[in-house]
Amino acid sequence: MIVTLLSRLLPFFIGLALGTLAPWLWWLDREAGHRFAERQWTQASRVYARPLELYPGLAMSPDDLVLEMQAAGLQPGSPEQIGRFQRRGESLDIHVPGFNFPDTTQPPQRVRVEFSGQQVSSVRAEDRSAAGLLRLPPAELGNLMPLDDRDRTLVALADFPPLLITGIQAVEDRQFNHHRGIDPRGMLRAAWANLRHGQVVQGGSTITQQLVKNLFLEPDRKLLRKFNEAIMAISLERRFGKAEILEAYLNEVYLGQDGATAIHGFGRASEHYFGLPVQALSPDQIALLIGMVRGASWYHPGRNPERARARRDRVLGMFLETGLIDPAMHDRAVARPLEIQSDRQRRARRHGEFLDLVARQLRRDYRDRDLRDTGLRIFTTLAPSAQSHAERALTEALPRVESSPNELQGAIILVEPASGEVRALVGDRRPGQRGFNRALDARRSIGSVIKPFVYLLALAQPDRFNLVSPLQDQPISVPIAGQPDWQPRNYDGQSHGEVPLLDALANSYNQATVHLGLEVGLDDLFRLLRQLGVEPGSDPHPSAYLGALSLTPLQVAQLYQPLAAEGYSTPLRAITQVVDSEGRAIGRYPMRMRPIRDREALALLDYALRHAVTDGTARSLSWRLSSDPGVRGKTGTTNDLRDAWFVGYTRDWLGVVWTGRDDHAAANISGAATAVPVWATLFGQLPLREQPTHWPESIEWYWVDWPTPRLAAEECQGARAVPFIAGSQPTELSPCLDNGRTSRWRRGRR
Amino acid sequence: MNRLPTPFLKTVFIALLACMLAACATPPRAPVEDDTVAERVRAPAPEEPRGLQIRPLRNPAVTELTEAARQAEDEDDLERAALLLERALRIEPRDPELLQHLAEVSFNQQDWEQAESHASRSFDVGPRVGELCRRNWQTIVMAREQMGYRHSAELARERLDACRVEPPPRF
Repeated sequence: MIVTLLSRLLPFFIGLALGTLAPWLWWLDREAGHRFAERQWTQASRVYARPLELYPGLAMSPDDLVLEMQAAGLQPGSPEQIGRFQRRGESLDIHVPGFNFPDTTQPPQRVRVEFSGQQVSSVRAEDRSAAGLLRLPPAELGNLMPLDDRDRTLVALADFPPLLITGIQAVEDRQFNHHRGIDPRGMLRAAWANLRHGQVVQGGSTITQQLVKNLFLEPDRKLLRKFNEAIMAISLERRFGKAEILEAYLNEVYLGQDGATAIHGFGRASEHYFGLPVQALSPDQIALLIGMVRGASWYHPGRNPERARARRDRVLGMFLETGLIDPAMHDRAVARPLEIQSDRQRRARRHGEFLDLVARQLRRDYRDRDLRDTGLRIFTTLAPSAQSHAERALTEALPRVESSPNELQGAIILVEPASGEVRALVGDRRPGQRGFNRALDARRSIGSVIKPFVYLLALAQPDRFNLVSPLQDQPISVPIAGQPDWQPRNYDGQSHGEVPLLDALANSYNQATVHLGLEVGLDDLFRLLRQLGVEPGSDPHPSAYLGALSLTPLQVAQLYQPLAAEGYSTPLRAITQVVDSEGRAIGRYPMRMRPIRDREALALLDYALRHAVTDGTARSLSWRLSSDPGVRGKTGTTNDLRDAWFVGYTRDWLGVVWTGRDDHAAANISGAATAVPVWATLFGQLPLREQPTHWPESIEWYWVDWPTPRLAAEECQGARAVPFIAGSQPTELSPCLDNGRTSRWRRGRR
Repeated sequence: MNRLPTPFLKTVFIALLACMLAACATPPRAPVEDDTVAERVRAPAPEEPRGLQIRPLRNPAVTELTEAARQAEDEDDLERAALLLERALRIEPRDPELLQHLAEVSFNQQDWEQAESHASRSFDVGPRVGELCRRNWQTIVMAREQMGYRHSAELARERLDACRVEPPPRF
């Protein structure tokens, strides 16, 4: 009777089971396919430094090239491996990794770079032929606005090292190429091994199952999850190819934490643990990462080095077992110590202050939703070697010039004048501090640094002023509404009488400048500052002629950029391009330059600023710089010696240095004594080239003697060659011209 | 009876006359050019004279980028051409050929302002005579016309005419 009951109920139950199972299976199958096809790879947006162009003639020292390479993730080693370089004196053998630039994809290649002094003399490919124009992959500076807490670097299957692809299968799923999603024999084998050992020693999951688990399912150990996982794995394999599944797996697998962010995929893990692109990994490094798949925390090389090393060596053993590496390579790899990037190294590659500027420019120019796309690549203007020199300059030079340790702070901005690109930015003497960014935010009195602009306005009126116009460096009393008269004094407390305009600027005489400023007018000065891209505020006071204006170092750099660029103004920028994950350009910051009016006056001012360096307040540069290719500059010291500035430039570099105390207290510093040494320390490290000046057509040169400006001749005592806007030169002749004639007559025939 | 001085006295008299005449004479002028004041007060500009110059060999990197830019232009990809030329300009920021090339690309992209700026800069750093000068001012003329500045376009046309190559002085 029970049999009859059973025999009648059995079909019912079978039917019920099938009835519920079938739709469930169908649903799982559909979900797997759907979700896999629609998967979103979350990727932080990456910010890159400017890529270094390598070509014969590049002005760079071998040490700086090494700096740039290390910033870009290359390391010393055998150049047979991608991402390694070897230095032999003045030549470097480099295996440059590939990189997808926005305008072209550059494949990996081996080159030899030879130097001659501070210049690249040749760049040759492996076969000794001249290499085409080559760029180093740009250094990664950091991430911007990761969307969620996962980060990865997407890598195509073809770009993974072969050993990684075969190795992961050898360790996790040897039957990967043969099974259909699940590996029943593997599961049975694992079950048997686990049973024998009394604990889990082997996993029976295939790569596909692991992928499904990571992508779609809740992390739990229930049987139901295992069932779902198996079905979905089979579905995946039905719909998608092995290559696609493996690629997804290699980009998805969890490999540790970077603070609050989870690291997914071998691409990002390679960068995080070794500071290398994944193509540059060596066998022992590959083995270490593969070993971590089973437990990124458990096998963490930093926290559990012994366990990590044991696991790595076991993985290497499996490589050997399956014939992926030969015994020699195995022994070499096992002998290598665990070497991962330290936290300090990782942090040191983040240029927080520069990224500040990048973030501000992005926010200014893009709406938030334009940037919400994942995987944006932002290419910036930073030069890692220059940044390194700037940070060191501040750290090394400040202790030499301050009166008590750590009294002063400083900021440096380094710009390429012709393009307006910011090459280095330092906002704190302690590199890596993410605090107050003085370069962008410290509004400090600029002092004498304003003077060139007063003089520029004067020189732009050639009918009234030229470089030798006599100025009165005499006491002056300026009435101010509602306040006692303002009586500016010179730095040395003295008045120097009648001085040529050129010297008044070079020596930074305050009284002469105020006299001149009153002739020029505050409105015009403020209008000029605005025209040059800086808002000086709305409360004009004659003390502005002496720089009683508060500006940031970035604003000062913006003001001086057209001077350094021979009359072509361009807004300073930190970004060149923004590209989305498909490689499409979202934004480009093209080179934009605008000729400012009064370029002749600017050329005269340029001459005066050269004079300030050779003969004026910045003349200490002559012995601080080993070679002077024609530096122009202006020192700036504020009243009460609270702020010390130096702005100096050549044709290739414009550098602004500010030093002072954070608490605005008087610091007994001066532009010449405090800021100039910092500037010189920096510029002593930069490649400086001599460049000819291109004088505007209407500039003519005349011999002029002193003390009254009169036309003279070369042989006259004290005569100087001075440029003038044509027609503005003095008309009076110096008496020495007649003397010259007479003496020649007396000397008779020559 | 009045007799003429003796032959001895005659000789002395003639000698004295000769000496007096000699005293009145001035030494011959040195056979140099007439130094006018205007020439003496002029100081040499510290750079090479304008005009025909031997151009140094072009940086091969710049050549490669310029070629690629030309190719991009042929394919009508002006954005890419501009990008490549900017890369070249980062290597040689004051190459007048590059600047003029970028000016022409900017013009084709209808960026009149930048076309004028780049052409103007090319003129500043270039030979300021000859073929390149003509190309500079031609671009400036066209850009100004596009922007509607008739008068300054006229002025630019005059500068264009002045771009003739001056024959070197020959003696």
